[in-house]
Amino acid sequence: MRRVILAIVTTAVALVLLLTFKTQTQSAGPAGSPASVVGSPAPGGTGTATAASPTGSKPAGSSPTPSGGTKTVTGTVAQTVYGPVQVKITVKDGRITAATAVQYPSGTPRDYQINSYAIPQLNAAAVAAGNAKIDSVSGATYTSGGYIASLQSAVDKAGIA
Amino acid sequence: MVSIAPAPVRAHPRAVLAVIGAGAAATVWLWWNGTPAVSGFGDWLTNAGRITGLLAGYGVAVLIGLMARIPPVERGVGTDQLARWHSMGGRYVVGLVAAHALLITWGYAVTAHTSVTGQAWTLLDSYPDVLLATAGGLLIVMTGIVSARAIRARLRYETWYYLHFYTYLAAALAFSHQFAVGAEFIMNTAARAAWSTLYIGVAAAIAWYRFITPVRQSARHRFTVESVTPEAHNVVSIVISGRHLDELQAQPGQFFRWRFLAPGLWWTALPYSLSAPPRGDLLRITVKAAGGHSTAIRGLAPGTRVIAAGPYGALTAARRRRHKVLLIAGGVGITPLRPLLETLPAAPGDLTLIYRVSSMRDVVFRRELEQLAESRKARVWFVAGTRDELDVNPLSGGELTKRVPGLTDHDVYLCGPPGLTSTVTRELVDAGVPRRHIHQESFEF
Repeated sequence: MRRVILAIVTTAVALVLLLTFKTQTQSAGPAGSPASVVGSPAPGGTGTATAASPTGSKPAGSSPTPSGGTKTVTGTVAQTVYGPVQVKITVKDGRITAATAVQYPSGTPRDYQINSYAIPQLNAAAVAAGNAKIDSVSGATYTSGGYIASLQSAVDKAGIA
Repeated sequence: MVSIAPAPVRAHPRAVLAVIGAGAAATVWLWWNGTPAVSGFGDWLTNAGRITGLLAGYGVAVLIGLMARIPPVERGVGTDQLARWHSMGGRYVVGLVAAHALLITWGYAVTAHTSVTGQAWTLLDSYPDVLLATAGGLLIVMTGIVSARAIRARLRYETWYYLHFYTYLAAALAFSHQFAVGAEFIMNTAARAAWSTLYIGVAAAIAWYRFITPVRQSARHRFTVESVTPEAHNVVSIVISGRHLDELQAQPGQFFRWRFLAPGLWWTALPYSLSAPPRGDLLRITVKAAGGHSTAIRGLAPGTRVIAAGPYGALTAARRRRHKVLLIAGGVGITPLRPLLETLPAAPGDLTLIYRVSSMRDVVFRRELEQLAESRKARVWFVAGTRDELDVNPLSGGELTKRVPGLTDHDVYLCGPPGLTSTVTRELVDAGVPRRHIHQESFEF
């Protein structure tokens, strides 16, 4: 029995030590709550950008704005193999004036590397096209797929034709 | 003419443990390398779940590998020691599997702000490979439960043995989810390659050493029952003939696993030590014909073919360090020690055998032992009587020191039931015999 306790305690201590080493306050990207599993089944990913406190969790919906001018619409979370993607667009007079990803995979160095060039391209493409019919960025197939899915739902919510 | 083969290569127990430890460290490093940051309670839980999952996957491969009967490992560590490592490691891995499942489910639930049960359902439902892995995990937990002492004592050995084979199925079921969902493997081809190599290597070792080699050996050596002779009350000696036996390099003190191709015996491989050194083309084993197999063993007809796997066991002359040797046999433990008594190089007076039995009726090889005592000028001491009948424990440190002059200067070879071997080992250590000069073998069969 003593050996059992020793094994459990040692394992727990080792786990805590390992995890403590890796705990940092710096996090990439805004916080998000992947509450909905949309699309194809996906794992927890290689580490999405999460911060300790869920400040500014972005529900899938639109924030009502004054005047019939500008409004921001956030699409649903699209799960990809590497993590969730969520797109927020700014719509003015029925046209997309800005697009940004509020969630995208960034847990591993490779994620950072790929998405640091892919996301800006997708943002620009969304604004240029004015809808969700944009091309995937080569080398970032999964993120592009998730981006386009989330962008489409934002477009639908905003009622853009 | 007695043939003693030169001692083949053995793996040191510490070396084996070091290799296992290095693999575990590499496994944890897979997580370390693939995880830049961890923050938040949910993330902590999920990553703890990943670490325990990785170690569980590694542990399963190691556990199976320990039982692969790789000859240098069997010779160097000993079959009984490997079984003990496996059983301790098995309990730990069952714990890791359970911890992994709980931590991942909880961690995902916290991160996704869902309930734990809801998250569990999502995992099982939306991630197909996870359902398979859960089935595998449950099989492993079942194996752990069935192996718990209280339950195992109630099962026939063969039942428990065959149930244990479900662990192979469990490993196969759990494998796909490791690559499909495992964060450390999804993007890392090198990690997948290394992990696959580990599993393929273990599978190959099992296939080769546990399944193919016994068949190969039997085809090559053509083991056949020569004769069955009664030795003592309920004990028979079986002589088995074979060809090219020198190729086996069987050492006195070792055992084989014998599968007699006869009704009632063909479906079980029984471990029995050689009770005499290999002689030309003959091997002898001595078996207590009691219990489930007794009638079948006594009724073995000469000419029955045998599939034999071996030799196994680390209780050999290779362990020897001192001039003087003390052999202590408890009951049926005399079997591997009798050939050692015959072949261990020793000067007259340097060799002592203590044979502990409940009553003189249980003594086996009495004539042979007395003859060897005379021809080798060795001391053979029969100690009969149950613990109640004797006033004093004849195998206590004090008694042994009195009876065996220069006890601390001896190598001690000890074989018997687990209770006896652990008690006597303690007594010897207390009496001043260095731990590394005590060589023991005991099986919980």
